[in-house]
Amino acid sequence: MSEPHHNQEKHPEIPLSGVVYGDIIYWGTLLSALIVLAGQVMSFITRANHISPSVILSRIWEGDKVGAIWEGTVGTQPAGEHWYFDVLHTGDGLTQLGISVGVFVVIPAILASAWIMFTREKRPLFGTLATVAALITLASFIGMLEMPAG
Amino acid sequence: MQDLMRRIPELSLLIGLSIVAYFVMGAFNQLENASTLTADGAFLLVLMSFLLSTLIAIVAVIAGVGGGVLFTPIMLAFTAIDTLIIRSTGLVVAMFSGLVSSGPFMRKGLADVKIVFYCAIPIIAGGMLGSYAAIALAETMGEQGDAIVRLLLGLILVFIAFLFIIGGSKTEFPEVGKVSPFSAWMDLKGAYYEESLGRVVHYQSTRVGLGGLLFLLVGFTGGFFGLGGGWAVVPVLNLVMTTPLKISAAGSGVLLAMGNSAAIWPYITYGSLIAALAAPWMLGQVIGGIMGAHILARVRANFIRYILIALLFFTSIKLIARGLETMLGIDIPVL
Repeated sequence: MSEPHHNQEKHPEIPLSGVVYGDIIYWGTLLSALIVLAGQVMSFITRANHISPSVILSRIWEGDKVGAIWEGTVGTQPAGEHWYFDVLHTGDGLTQLGISVGVFVVIPAILASAWIMFTREKRPLFGTLATVAALITLASFIGMLEMPAG
Repeated sequence: MQDLMRRIPELSLLIGLSIVAYFVMGAFNQLENASTLTADGAFLLVLMSFLLSTLIAIVAVIAGVGGGVLFTPIMLAFTAIDTLIIRSTGLVVAMFSGLVSSGPFMRKGLADVKIVFYCAIPIIAGGMLGSYAAIALAETMGEQGDAIVRLLLGLILVFIAFLFIIGGSKTEFPEVGKVSPFSAWMDLKGAYYEESLGRVVHYQSTRVGLGGLLFLLVGFTGGFFGLGGGWAVVPVLNLVMTTPLKISAAGSGVLLAMGNSAAIWPYITYGSLIAALAAPWMLGQVIGGIMGAHILARVRANFIRYILIALLFFTSIKLIARGLETMLGIDIPVL
């Protein structure tokens, strides 16, 4: 049973690998939120948009399919690429980048944590598991895993 | 609230900047009027999404689930928005409150990094398979596929609601019992300081192999429906793997963020995650996630649990009705 062993026991040491993982994620997420906020403001107060938010939100609200939305606005639906890199000068491109930064930040956080597990904490099993998790996520990010349809 | 702002200056900064940003967006709106939404209508939709997302994040964190469990079913049941767009945005909603809570949970030693990395691989693999399956279904079955998604999700919600009803059977410090050789080899054990008891609690996770298989299923369900998987992670860690409730709840948020980060890329690169819709939801999750994590200690979680159960049942009825309507070509007068 999970029981306390000694009432006067000191606080357990918190693994550095966990702290590093959490801190990278936390500050990376806050950074991504700031980028998203800046992108949203730019979307609304300038005309510099890849697709105007009012147009795309209207189409979404009307129930248009993803393909129809893209084809009816910019012509073609993205086919597995990071399309927003080409439109970073636009409000919605910047907003999409912000969301992607928040999603991406998990990869360096896992890798940094794995590095500490290998080098400082001498836990090669969990370092390997973390590395595998990071590689799968990285493969998804760079589009190495083909879509079954699309 | 003031105490919260003082202790977390970055939260104050983010809330302050959000207020300024939404004021500027409303006051200097340059959008064109579109077919359904005027410029002001688009702004109001974005503002309401942000406020609703903040509220959902607070409720979801207090209830110990990801926000996707509320967002995805409600949007699928009550709007005409394409299911693929809702599910991709649902993953963002599920993910970001987990992301911001990872830092505090890890720093306090409440999330066990060994358990997290062991469970991450089946969750990530399952989540990716789920998101691929979702896109494949949408491509091949169209409206019928959407109906199947609504019907299945309605049934899953009923199941989740029952899980919450019988949630009292969860134990804060589960009996470990016999430890299998594989579990012993994985050595998923640790200790944390339990503030409510004022002492250190030691634990060991067991049935590690079964837990891994269940996490594959949890990941698939989360990726496919855009739910996240917080509702299932805690029961698997706590009831199956005999991990203390607090470690399970903290690990759930961290795992949710990690698992969804892989599942979400296909949605982004194939254009199903649309920034104009997802951005206010993401911001609300970040702000509400931080607030919820700190409010948690001061409210009666049971009250929130009852609200959540009622919402889940209510939404499931509408989802099942809409699914059956499309599949059978009949009209069911529900709401």
